[in-house]
Amino acid sequence: MKKVLTLSLGLALLAASASAQTASKTIKINGYGGTDQTLVNDLINRFVKPQMAKDGVTVVYQPLQGDYNKALTTLLAANTAGDVMYLPAETVDGFVATGKILPLNGLVTPTPFIKSLNTAFTRNGKLYAIAKDFNTLTVVYNKDLFDEAGVAYPNNNDTWTSLATKLRQVKQKLGSDYYGTCLQPNFDRFGAFAYATGWQQFGANGKTNLADPRFAEAFNWYTGLAKDKVGVQPSELSAGWNGDCLKSGKVAVAIEGGWIVNFLRDNAPNLKFGTALLPKNNKTGQRGNFLYTVGWAINSGTKNKAAAAKVLNILTSPQVQEYVLQQGLAIPSRSSLTNSAYFKKADPGAQNAKLVFQGADDGYVRAFTFGPKGPDWAKPINEALASVLSGQKSAADALKKAQADMTTFQSR
Amino acid sequence: MFRRGQSTTTAYLFLAPFLISTAIFFFYAFARAIYYSFTDFNLFNSPKLIGLQPYTQVVADPSFQRALTNSLIFAVVTTTLQTIFALLMAVALNNKLRGMAFFRSAWYMPSITSSVVITLIFLWLFQRRGIANYLITQWQTYQPLILTFLIGLVVAQVIQVLLERRSGLPARWTDPALAAVSALASLVVTAGLVWSGVAGPREVAPFDYQYFADKWISVGGVQILSIPLLVVIIQNTFTTVPTLMLFFLAGLQNIPGALYEAADIDGATPFQKLMNVTVPNLRPVTFYVITVGLIGTMQMFDQVAVIGSAAPQDTLITLAFYVYTNTFKAGAAPVNLAAAAAIILALIILLMVFIQRRFFPSEAR
Repeated sequence: MKKVLTLSLGLALLAASASAQTASKTIKINGYGGTDQTLVNDLINRFVKPQMAKDGVTVVYQPLQGDYNKALTTLLAANTAGDVMYLPAETVDGFVATGKILPLNGLVTPTPFIKSLNTAFTRNGKLYAIAKDFNTLTVVYNKDLFDEAGVAYPNNNDTWTSLATKLRQVKQKLGSDYYGTCLQPNFDRFGAFAYATGWQQFGANGKTNLADPRFAEAFNWYTGLAKDKVGVQPSELSAGWNGDCLKSGKVAVAIEGGWIVNFLRDNAPNLKFGTALLPKNNKTGQRGNFLYTVGWAINSGTKNKAAAAKVLNILTSPQVQEYVLQQGLAIPSRSSLTNSAYFKKADPGAQNAKLVFQGADDGYVRAFTFGPKGPDWAKPINEALASVLSGQKSAADALKKAQADMTTFQSR
Repeated sequence: MFRRGQSTTTAYLFLAPFLISTAIFFFYAFARAIYYSFTDFNLFNSPKLIGLQPYTQVVADPSFQRALTNSLIFAVVTTTLQTIFALLMAVALNNKLRGMAFFRSAWYMPSITSSVVITLIFLWLFQRRGIANYLITQWQTYQPLILTFLIGLVVAQVIQVLLERRSGLPARWTDPALAAVSALASLVVTAGLVWSGVAGPREVAPFDYQYFADKWISVGGVQILSIPLLVVIIQNTFTTVPTLMLFFLAGLQNIPGALYEAADIDGATPFQKLMNVTVPNLRPVTFYVITVGLIGTMQMFDQVAVIGSAAPQDTLITLAFYVYTNTFKAGAAPVNLAAAAAIILALIILLMVFIQRRFFPSEAR
């Protein structure tokens, strides 16, 4: 009996040390589940594994299903997170505060990447991630509705006024069953317009000023579209988001990012759509835009810093990014890709990709983020938008309440 | 057969899995939560004791105050509703009727269905273009016909009863046989009016109420109960009544039939029997049902989590949800505040049970 016990104990110890040895030569990558799982595995097999195999390093992808940020937090707290991982720009502050994200200064060269993307991942002069790809907002329109109404398509020279006029005309010509656009009562669409006025998300003291006349200007324009039902909330059309609205064929314009292309391809294959840049603010003459981006970051607790950095460099290399672009999956983050042949194609998807790419450094472009206190920051703004769009409050009242709520939130 | 010591060991061996898991996942976790609630822990730092500060911070947090109010109101309203409905349903299902087994299982269905699924169904029912609004629209559309029918029914009934009484027969106003005839007559009249075009359905705009919006029932300017929470109360009552009904049913089987016979001899009405025989005899069960109800409702979490961002957070946030959102954030999280809130929640539940035990004796009189 004793012998068996000693033997099995010995075996277990051996197995443990053996697995520890292989673990030291494995680079684990954490990222999203869903479609990313196939894509990243494909990238790893094609580009990362062959190069890392020379150094005797194996690479595995461990997707986190469900809420990625929560899952990653748990893994980081338990010291079981991967060596390399996705870091969404909107949650950078929370993760940087954990001290578990390795500053990349000196490990990678940030210069080939679009500057505003690097800014999105920089805190106190330290770069915490390299953007893997990104998206910005564009005006995606239903060509048939504009043709039928005899109104000119939205274009890259549109201002807030000219775009609003076009939407009003479409609504007037086509009647009450049709709408100009869908307006999500959310900072994650509306914010781009606030930026166009030159409004700052956080002032010098780190506080948000919603009483700023520039913010009010954007707020009034956005909610003003709801008058005469030119702009409606997606919920009023039983739609979940702007893409659903456009898909219904009753809405002329959707303000969305490049993700709408594959959605329309799958759900409304006969819908003819075009893309334009977001309209310019009349006063500043600038557009505003969001950068929605996810970066590659390194776990500060990794045992193989050099190997992890190498994997990160391969994942953001020109070959990988060109491949991703060619597949029509995402817009890569290297500024040199502006000359890619893909952008010259006539197909509406490629055209959309081109404008999403252009949007990244045209006008007041800011990363989509909520600051150090997380997504609750946007709550007062979202509530104000919802109450005005649904006609419960006047814009002035809603803004006053939003500012009061914001002050309470930020002084907590 | 066994010696005493040996049998105790055996008992502990069999109990071991439960004892160990309770020790780790309950007592150890509880002790850790108490410890964290006095520190500056944020999941990633090494915790440092900072005294009562997390508690003062939590109590000053407006979202905690909202969560506390929501939880208390939810607990009191839901427990009251579910206890009353469960008792009434149990009394109804305690009768010996044909097909009773079917009704018992039919009523029990909501309880065995996952609350996540039921929540999704309720979200769908109470959408802006959901069934609830549809039914209200239908009611408004057909209101003239329904009113015509009801008026016709009352008039016909009054006429019939008066006629009967004039011929010397003792007719009650609610006589079912006469009511059936009245209903038939009224139906014919209504159909005639529709056919001749005098009455008909109205043209009304679709009823367009947003249930999951920032809407409140206020008393004196103080927001008491939000409409989204009201929907959750309805749903929770719907799903918990059957389980509680089962307890009452079991309790009802234990009430001696002789008591009802005695009440019958004394000429008690069904309502008097309910209030003077059934309710007092069910006291131990009622105590259990209310205790379980209060604990369950104070910890309500799943419905709020499933509805998520479909409703503004303030309208639905409960203590359990507050604890959850403050523990699982992206990156560093105020776990000390969450722990403090969890301890406060535990204390409130203990206090509730204590008060109940103190003032509402659980024994039958």
